[in-house]
Amino acid sequence: MAKKEINPDLSRRHFLNSLGIGTAGLLVMGSYGFTISRDPVTGKIKAIAVDFEKCAGCRTCETVCSAYNHKVNINGKMVNGSGSPFLSNIRVYHFNPDVDIPSTCALCNDAPCIEACPVAPDPVTGRKALYRDEETLTIRNDLARCIGCSVCAITCQSQRAGVIRPNPETGSPEYMCTLCDGDPQCVKYCPFDALSYIEMDDSRDLDNLAPEKIAEKMIKKLYNLNLTEV
Amino acid sequence: MATDGYYGKLLEVDLTSGTVKVTKIPDDDIRKFIGGRGLGTKILWDRLKPGTDPLSPDNILMFMPGPFSGLPIPSSSRTCVVTKSTRTSPLTMKYDHSSTISYSNMGGFFGPELKFAGYDGLLVSGKSEKPVYIKIRNNKVTIEDASKYWGMGTDKFDRIFHREVGKGRWESCYIGPAGEILVPMASVLNTAARAAGRGGTGCVMGSKNLKAVVVQGSNMPNIANLEKYNELLEKIRRSFMKKDDKVMNWRYGGTANALSSSSKGGTQAVRNYSEGTFSEIEKIGTEANRKAIWKRDFACFSCQLACKKSGYAKGGYNTLVHDGPEYETGTMLGANLMISDICGLHKLIFVADDYGVDIISAGNTIGFLMEAYEKGDVSRDFLDGIDLTWSNVDASLAMLHKICKREGIGELASRGVKALSEKIGKGSSDYAIHVKGHELAAWNVPVGNRYWAVTYATANRGACHMNGGSAKGQNGACLQDSVGACSFASSWYRDDTHYRHFMNAITGLEWSEEEFNKAGARIFTLEKMFNYRDGFRREDDSIPEKFFTNKFTFGEHAGAIVDREEFKENMDNYYDSRGWDLKTSRPNNETLKENGLEFTI
Repeated sequence: MAKKEINPDLSRRHFLNSLGIGTAGLLVMGSYGFTISRDPVTGKIKAIAVDFEKCAGCRTCETVCSAYNHKVNINGKMVNGSGSPFLSNIRVYHFNPDVDIPSTCALCNDAPCIEACPVAPDPVTGRKALYRDEETLTIRNDLARCIGCSVCAITCQSQRAGVIRPNPETGSPEYMCTLCDGDPQCVKYCPFDALSYIEMDDSRDLDNLAPEKIAEKMIKKLYNLNLTEV
Repeated sequence: MATDGYYGKLLEVDLTSGTVKVTKIPDDDIRKFIGGRGLGTKILWDRLKPGTDPLSPDNILMFMPGPFSGLPIPSSSRTCVVTKSTRTSPLTMKYDHSSTISYSNMGGFFGPELKFAGYDGLLVSGKSEKPVYIKIRNNKVTIEDASKYWGMGTDKFDRIFHREVGKGRWESCYIGPAGEILVPMASVLNTAARAAGRGGTGCVMGSKNLKAVVVQGSNMPNIANLEKYNELLEKIRRSFMKKDDKVMNWRYGGTANALSSSSKGGTQAVRNYSEGTFSEIEKIGTEANRKAIWKRDFACFSCQLACKKSGYAKGGYNTLVHDGPEYETGTMLGANLMISDICGLHKLIFVADDYGVDIISAGNTIGFLMEAYEKGDVSRDFLDGIDLTWSNVDASLAMLHKICKREGIGELASRGVKALSEKIGKGSSDYAIHVKGHELAAWNVPVGNRYWAVTYATANRGACHMNGGSAKGQNGACLQDSVGACSFASSWYRDDTHYRHFMNAITGLEWSEEEFNKAGARIFTLEKMFNYRDGFRREDDSIPEKFFTNKFTFGEHAGAIVDREEFKENMDNYYDSRGWDLKTSRPNNETLKENGLEFTI
């Protein structure tokens, strides 16, 4: 498969433009589902970009995410868990015609999930139950204050990628990306280099993060087919 | 408590009564038969009476992931479908329905998800009155109406069913229209392409009125030694992530790479196995597909090789491409029929997958009919007016449709080359390329026949190219199919990353090398006893007459042929090495005892 040489520093806007044009047929990096943090030195946003043309759907990312973020205590030592994909914060969705869409928390700048959280901000920290960690920019949930209303998950579902899912028993939000202490395991172990942790500007098409929407575009692009017509 | 790495649970669904139960898998069976193909064989032996009609409600259909399936061990996602074959028969029928065991494994995501649901296997028995599918969500298991999906091709079903079945991510496997109407060579598919293709698995599924199994789960078995497991995972992942030529070749072409190399080496099935080399192979090989067809590489669960290719074929025949050609489909519907029209080949593959039929057997059968037609052993009338000449895509498509619909000549042809040659007579059995009724695959026999002839003749499901040509190779294949590992990745699992070490880390049991290998021998020998019990004897372990009488005329290996005496000698040596009787091929009692199979005596 001939691939156009790409510059990893290409801006996010450039990717979206490529995708938007469609007819150009040279979409090399459609980074829809990704997570961001600010580079401490340059102050620029660092994000996990997904190259949807490279993803082969093996779900290795799910198993390493799960293993790292769900460690097990063995004789006082915390070791990686067995890697159940069910516990992973990143998820790969299959579609027919064949495309695979990895989806993970986008750490949206405007964070509608936090916006929707009905818990009153703490007078000291200013945090709701769902809040953005100042250091990593990841979305976190304060279990002690969460009332389990699931409104954050519903909001993510209707407005963004739908990554946040409520715990079936407590209703508390789960599956927000942790960035693995600055060394995202999904990026580290992706066998196909479909995931990268790179600097990019901060313009994003946040309204089209749902895997189905991305799949539709990819299917159109790769096979020149519409999801509904084939 | 179950053995670590397992749940010790077999999910049993009886479609006659509509009951669901979970039974315990004995720890001793796990230790001795591992999982997947091995455990399936043990259960089949225990549950079936000799001579069971494979299409009766008494037959059982099992979906058996291995202990590796669902764990992130690279390229180990496989699920073995185990049942009694609809395809095979011995020369002397001991029972009305004598047939061999059938096992056929598939990659993808279904087996892992079944494990996540909390089961080491699914056993389906009985027969539903109306079309149904089985829906499994952890411990919630229901039998659902599938009437609206009955008759639907696998491609459309794959798209629609997953949208309708419920929220979240589901994995499924299913049959196409061929399985529904009991085409004996029907297969079970998942993701509209990956198939447990061989031995009539889909026909058995159809006989139970079972369209699909769909599953979603959130469990993981307990790992005995997590630190050791993590260490092994890191090591094996790193060995793949070097991205050396071996890895990159798999990604580049998958098994399609063998289309060219096998043709050059004279080991390809060409012109119904009359030749080993196809002069036009490059037109349908890796490079041609990379250039014109393939858009994407796809991997099974936790695999780094990504040998599945998808794309779109445009030309005389427009078609979506879910997979292929890989070596088997490209040879059986390409080289073997002298077809080099790349879009025509893709159309044939798509149509066969959409009906859900074994492409190896279907391609072999069409090739046989082409030869019979060329020789004048059958008329055009016999073929319902189809001008079935070599390299004719339209005629091949027409015949494929007939086979998959069991329409006209397709009724007989759907039963394969053995049934056809018995009906046609005129010496056509000499070029009916099957063993025990099961058609040979895409690897031809004469070049390297010491390996290939023994491989095909001794395979327990009837002719099988994955069988292995020696006791050692066969035992290794049994272990691979039992842990759930993919044969394409086997060369990475050597020395300190051998399957055995993963088994030890997962279960906490200590398999010595000798003990682990013995499990492979035990599994193969039990399959053999299953067949022996149904009446298969040494005379059934043969290869088609053509290989002893036909010389290749073309390519670097022109003149290649199998020597009858040498074949007999190789087989004698094989039985000797196994500890089986030379006359009957029955494993000796000492051999059975040594393998812990006293219960078969």
